Amino acid sequence: MQSGTRAKRQSAWHMLASEFSEATLNEKGSGEYDPSFVITKLGAKVNRVVVAGLLERLEVRETSNGSTLYQGQMRDPSGLHYFSVGDYASESMRELTMSLVEKTEVGEPVLLLMVAKSRWYQTDEGAVYTSLRPEEACEIDAQRYALWLTRACEDTLQRMKNYSDSLAAEPTREGLVAAGIPEHMIDGLLVSRNHYGDIDVETYTLNVMQALDIAEGRMDAASQPVAAPSQTELPGDAAPSGAESNDDEVKDTLVSIIEQLDQGDGVDFETVLTNAVARGFDRGLAEEKLDELSNEGTLHEPRFGWFRIVG
Amino acid sequence: MSEKYETHVKSILSECPDADPEEVAAAFEKYETEFFIPPQDAMRSILRRFKGDKTPTPSSGSSGGSSAAPRNTRKVSSLSELKGDDKDIEIEVEIISHNIRDQTIRGEQKQIAFGLLEDNPWEENGQKNRWEYKDWGPNSNITPGSVVRIEGASVNEYQGKMSLNINQSTRIAVVREGTRPITAPGEPQDIDSLPSDGYVCVVGRILASRPDQIHRKDGSGSIDIVRGRLADESGTIGFLSWEPLEHEVGTLLKIEGAQVRTFRDTPELNFGRTTKIEIYHDKNFSDADTLSQQTVLTLSELRDGARDVDAVVQITEWTKRSFTRDGEERFLWSGQIADPTGRCRMSAWSELPITEDKLPITVRLKGVRVRAWQGIPDITVDNADQVEFLDAPPWDSDLDLTTHTAEVELFELSTGASRVGVSTSATVVSVREDSGFIQRCTECRRVLRDGACAEHGPNDGNADIRLRLAIDDGRSSVSLLTNKQATLSLLGMTESELQDTVNDLGQVAFVQSLRGKMLGRTIKASGRTIVDEQGAMMLADGAAMVDEDAGLRATEIRAQWKVA
Repeated sequence: MQSGTRAKRQSAWHMLASEFSEATLNEKGSGEYDPSFVITKLGAKVNRVVVAGLLERLEVRETSNGSTLYQGQMRDPSGLHYFSVGDYASESMRELTMSLVEKTEVGEPVLLLMVAKSRWYQTDEGAVYTSLRPEEACEIDAQRYALWLTRACEDTLQRMKNYSDSLAAEPTREGLVAAGIPEHMIDGLLVSRNHYGDIDVETYTLNVMQALDIAEGRMDAASQPVAAPSQTELPGDAAPSGAESNDDEVKDTLVSIIEQLDQGDGVDFETVLTNAVARGFDRGLAEEKLDELSNEGTLHEPRFGWFRIVG
Repeated sequence: MSEKYETHVKSILSECPDADPEEVAAAFEKYETEFFIPPQDAMRSILRRFKGDKTPTPSSGSSGGSSAAPRNTRKVSSLSELKGDDKDIEIEVEIISHNIRDQTIRGEQKQIAFGLLEDNPWEENGQKNRWEYKDWGPNSNITPGSVVRIEGASVNEYQGKMSLNINQSTRIAVVREGTRPITAPGEPQDIDSLPSDGYVCVVGRILASRPDQIHRKDGSGSIDIVRGRLADESGTIGFLSWEPLEHEVGTLLKIEGAQVRTFRDTPELNFGRTTKIEIYHDKNFSDADTLSQQTVLTLSELRDGARDVDAVVQITEWTKRSFTRDGEERFLWSGQIADPTGRCRMSAWSELPITEDKLPITVRLKGVRVRAWQGIPDITVDNADQVEFLDAPPWDSDLDLTTHTAEVELFELSTGASRVGVSTSATVVSVREDSGFIQRCTECRRVLRDGACAEHGPNDGNADIRLRLAIDDGRSSVSLLTNKQATLSLLGMTESELQDTVNDLGQVAFVQSLRGKMLGRTIKASGRTIVDEQGAMMLADGAAMVDEDAGLRATEIRAQWKVA
């Protein structure tokens, strides 16, 4: 009974950046005021999130129609969130944003917590980007950040469990209900499984472990000596793509894309490239590497333009 | 400076050769100790700081702009306008039937849907055409009885017969929700899963039945009706028969073509001339005693408009009031009642043997009805024989129900009935800009907007204090309003301190300061809830932020989820 003109407020998910930024599926209801959702690999149907992290960048941009847009990125242990604050935002949100621009300009560290709406868009090449529109936000101290981390971890673990429980169940609403999947996860899990295929949840486990280390104040355990800033990052709308990625990373990604999507006949050229671009790689570079993988004998082409992994 | 950040510092220096290594290392330490940001995550921020403004701004264009190619959709109002090779058409139709079947397409198991649709859905007796359709989506929002706008379908012609193909890219907009029965006629449905309106078939046992009268509003007489209650193993529902109904309590009936109508918040079955009622035989069907257990409700389950309710409650206050109707003095007894799930009010139209010194007193109520006043359920007792006095409550008798609040999960509050005497904990996800000082209408206590009441127009208003928050548990969101006393105790301020703070900061910065204190944190609030179609609202007379220890929580989570 979802009729009626005024929709109920959508609930908010506590979520690490990796889960949100890896999402490439969205859903928009048919009605004008129907909410839109980004659906993550773990099946969270996200309209609103509570997220936190280090404000890493915040810049003003003048758009072509003369309005002002602030674009920012916020880092948590798992990755980055991209967000924007425009003229549509509330007065209080804009005032806060302006004060934060000043702080980032002088290099003052800011821990931010925001309640934000999920946004989704797809480029002409088919690459999918998620981003956030904060509704309300505030600066927090390390203790509150740690507390947010614990909540995000707990909820992520819960979703991972729901996800793995759902794998054994019949992929229908009734099947998931019978498997004990909570109601608010069912719709998302049904479509996410269809869209993403088999996913690797290992990285989420690592994210959670690292975040818990931080929350417990075990900073040494959470620190990594290797200093390659671009490595854990998933480029979004503000990140340059391609240039910083090393060749092996492109190849690994291409292979994993083909592994995931191959239903037996191989995966077509366009699908492989679209997915590579969606993961932040330059299309030209990906095309080049796809050739190399074929020449090396890692891939073969059972039909022209269709790729499979040899072996 | 320690060697701890050696690799990170080197990496920064390679980009900014002029930077002081000590300063860079100090920056890493600051991020780590003060902000819990490990060095690998602080890299970019620190790099930006030492590079100054030299960082190139990324060149990628700004977002926005939909990528969908413009469609050339042809809009028609009647199926007869379509030709066999039409593609990308738009039409509004009513879905007559909808069936799902599994089909193997290119080696893959896939569900497709098919059925009949009918054009010209809005004209009651107009010319209508029916076509078959196939939905390759299949779209979940196509349901029988609904009127939908199909955008981007194509026509299929096979051996002179036309049908409509709905593809995965076709957009389906539901214009009117289905009102027809979804199940085939004659197929009984469980009572607890009946729709809130429409015609249904049920099999159930009569738990209560009594003649009643409805008085015509124009005073031209009255109509004899029968009211009662019907139950199956899934639940119970009240009924109203406009035709004589002589079956006794306990009789098992099959009722076809009963109409469900929702009176206040409570669905009810209506039997009319076209309803077919017959005695049904099923030896395994539960008897009336077993079924009537289901009608015993707790106060947390009361819904406005419910009838034939049984409950065990404690009466904590009881007073007699008098009023005059038609020049005659009449009496009404009313008071507060409670059970372990909450509190509400009760009214009685006849005198009960209750005196002040006997309170609190526990009673079993039978066949009473429920009305709600401003969201608070009020049990109405029409006859004294509906009340049976018990010697002791069936719950822990040490429980003081006058002060007891039931702790309830937010999700349960948001999906249940309106309740009094409850408390809950959840995350603050919004502090509304109109939190703080407000002016209320002198007539109705509504909050004034720009010095005017929506109902009573401009007035001076009475000053009040409240916070308007949204709280959330990840599954449901509830609007939380804290009253003056709860607000002041939550903020730890007196009224004049609060006034000074708002004057100093201004309203916008004041609200922002509240967000700084509350956003993302857990709040515990107690009071009452009002739940309706627009969502749930909690009116709190008590609220406090919950202090939590992140380190402890993290360790608990590790143990609970077995993450090393």
